[in-house]
Amino acid sequence: MVPLVLAGSIRAQDKNPFHGNKDAIEAGRGMFRIYCSPCHGIGAEGGRGPDLTLGSYSVGNEDTAVFRVIASGAKGTEMPGFGERFDSDGVWRLVAYLRSVSGKPAPKLTGNRANGEKLYWEKSGCVACHRIGGRGSRMGPDLTLVGRQRSLAYLREALVDPDASLTPGYNKVTIVTKDGSKITGVQKGYDAFSAQVMDAQENYHSYFREEVRSMEREFKSMMPGYGKSLTPRELDDLLVYLTSLRGQGENR
Amino acid sequence: MNRILLSALLACAAWSRLEAAGPVTLKELHEGQSDAATWLMYGKNYAGWRYSEQTQIHTNNVAGLQPRWIYQTGVNGKFETTPIVRDGLMFLTAPSNHAYALDLATGRPMWHYYKPVPAGVNLCCGQVNRGFAVLGDKLFKVNLEATLAAVDIKTGQPVWETSMEDPRKGYSATSAPLIVKDMVVTGMAGAEFGTRGFIDAYDAQSGKRRWRFHTVAGPGEPGVESWGGDSWKRGGGSTWVTGTYDAELNLIYWGTGNPGPDFDGSVRPGDNLYTCSLVALDADTGKMKWHFQFTPHDVHDWDATSDPVLLEMEHNGRKVKAVVMANRNGFYYALDRTNGKMLVAKAYTQASWADGIGADGRPNLIAGQDPTDTGNKSCPSIGGGHNWQATTYSPATRLYYFTSTDGCQLYFKTAQDYVDGLWYQASTTQGLAQEPTTGSVIAVKPASGEIAWKFPLVGAPTSGLLSTAGGLVFGGDREGYVFALDAATGKPLWRFQTGGVVIAPPITYLFRGKQYVAVSAGASMFTFALP
Repeated sequence: MVPLVLAGSIRAQDKNPFHGNKDAIEAGRGMFRIYCSPCHGIGAEGGRGPDLTLGSYSVGNEDTAVFRVIASGAKGTEMPGFGERFDSDGVWRLVAYLRSVSGKPAPKLTGNRANGEKLYWEKSGCVACHRIGGRGSRMGPDLTLVGRQRSLAYLREALVDPDASLTPGYNKVTIVTKDGSKITGVQKGYDAFSAQVMDAQENYHSYFREEVRSMEREFKSMMPGYGKSLTPRELDDLLVYLTSLRGQGENR
Repeated sequence: MNRILLSALLACAAWSRLEAAGPVTLKELHEGQSDAATWLMYGKNYAGWRYSEQTQIHTNNVAGLQPRWIYQTGVNGKFETTPIVRDGLMFLTAPSNHAYALDLATGRPMWHYYKPVPAGVNLCCGQVNRGFAVLGDKLFKVNLEATLAAVDIKTGQPVWETSMEDPRKGYSATSAPLIVKDMVVTGMAGAEFGTRGFIDAYDAQSGKRRWRFHTVAGPGEPGVESWGGDSWKRGGGSTWVTGTYDAELNLIYWGTGNPGPDFDGSVRPGDNLYTCSLVALDADTGKMKWHFQFTPHDVHDWDATSDPVLLEMEHNGRKVKAVVMANRNGFYYALDRTNGKMLVAKAYTQASWADGIGADGRPNLIAGQDPTDTGNKSCPSIGGGHNWQATTYSPATRLYYFTSTDGCQLYFKTAQDYVDGLWYQASTTQGLAQEPTTGSVIAVKPASGEIAWKFPLVGAPTSGLLSTAGGLVFGGDREGYVFALDAATGKPLWRFQTGGVVIAPPITYLFRGKQYVAVSAGASMFTFALP
């Protein structure tokens, strides 16, 4: 019920009543640290979620667009709506805070997109686990929108040190059955009583704990690090390609 | 027989029994423990045991427990309610100021209470509610906008509603009230918004306030010296979980929450009395008889809001009237409930901030554990240790059961100006990617604090617990399971996947001579019985 009310009030008001208001910015900063920093970084510099200090957002740069995404979420991404948590003033305070920290120049990335694309689909083996525009495997996160979803710094870290920040739901689970066979896959479900995994062949498996010899979850990525297998130049090329993936035209 | 006619007759039968039972008396409330048919208050009895003497469901047959009916409310949000059950009906509260009376035979609703939540109510943790209290012909619940409401038990219609404080200043209310004599005693919420906490008692008939105890000492009150400057004005110390009551000592026991702002202690130098404490209040006047502060000058949001459980135990060869609490700071405590003196304190999970608790009850602090601007690791995490989820004591096993989040977090501190009614937490926490927190159900021997067993959960626990004379402990988890463990060993004996997170504590009651277990999961109420 609350989000509907919010959806109504956003149309009525297209300007941030707290723009530049010091108290509101401070309150917004407090809220940001609590609700937003786990994905967007403690100072909005980006993490698993995009860098919000650049002042340019994939959802639109107007205050109303930013408001809408905070209240209702960004479709097709992991960004949830916070309309049930905050009233419209609260959302506007967050917008005021974001405006106060935005305007940082976008990081310059030199690299060759065409080389990066080739690396992705051929040499690197990314396609064995990831998927872009309906092509590839479902073992790892779908990368169709990854240029919108992740900051550059996060993507670089993910390529070099995949364990540093694991995408939720992609833990590695290993099950050893009573006859000794070992099943390794990504976590679909894991609880006190059972586990559900998808293996590299995209088969689903489900077991109760009492049916198997062991069941273990590791907070480790199944992805290898590419810091050594790719040259710094190749990494840049791959990053240019990945940051260009914004959900349009990736239909190969 | 025609099914509609049958259900009408069944409904009438249930209804007429309620008529026949008459108003809920104080005597009935005080004898609630020995009546296995009912569940009349938050903690089942005034001692907060959440223990049923019912034995129909026991360790050897619990595996056959089956769902009997499910009531889907369709209300969004987290369900934290402990229902009231009496004579054919179940009274449950739901998020966002909803409440229901359900027929125990079918789960069909008899009435629905709803009061829209006004705009501008600030809540840290969702539009939750933890249950009704009952006395006479009225049910009592708090509404989110910091009001206490009485409703007609027959119809769900409002009888009176009293405003406790201004919700625009950050005050709210979520806990189940406690009936003491002819009063409704209740806490408040809002320590994350620069409020000043209190425990209130209201006349059950009129809704007029009898007394208020401020959990943050103000001018002229002992303890105000533990707050630098005027920081007491925004001192927090909310009281968002129901307390317990010892009629013989005439004392109400209630836990208090974190000081505000949560993570920046520099603006509130001192111990910050009476936050993160257990207070014992004279039931007639609300005057404090004693207090025990678990975490002086807390900077980790370690509320002391776990149910204070009253039990008798041996200590140094003598029988002691004790109050026990698994505190959010990672330590289990037993206190003498006549005077607040500490009897035992023992860590039950990793607690990096203190090297034990001194004989005077103060923690032996370890340096370097406070939040910093760039984040500092400390254990337990913000949620504990044991948080608010209902605990249980079984006099049969003589064990005290509670859940625990096991792990550490990064704690951040930010300087933050106070703005009326807005978040005043002065930063946040973050999990450690390589050290995810896990959870457990823990059984502790009350007199020693020694752990009897642990049942591992894969993440932070969500639900409260129930113990029964059938040798069982019931609980639930974030992943949607309701489960039964062997109370003596922690061995899992039964589980059911509800499809929704289990946050509420299970309860049990008798209906038409048969034992039921009931618990909210997702947005629904589930009941279970043997075939």
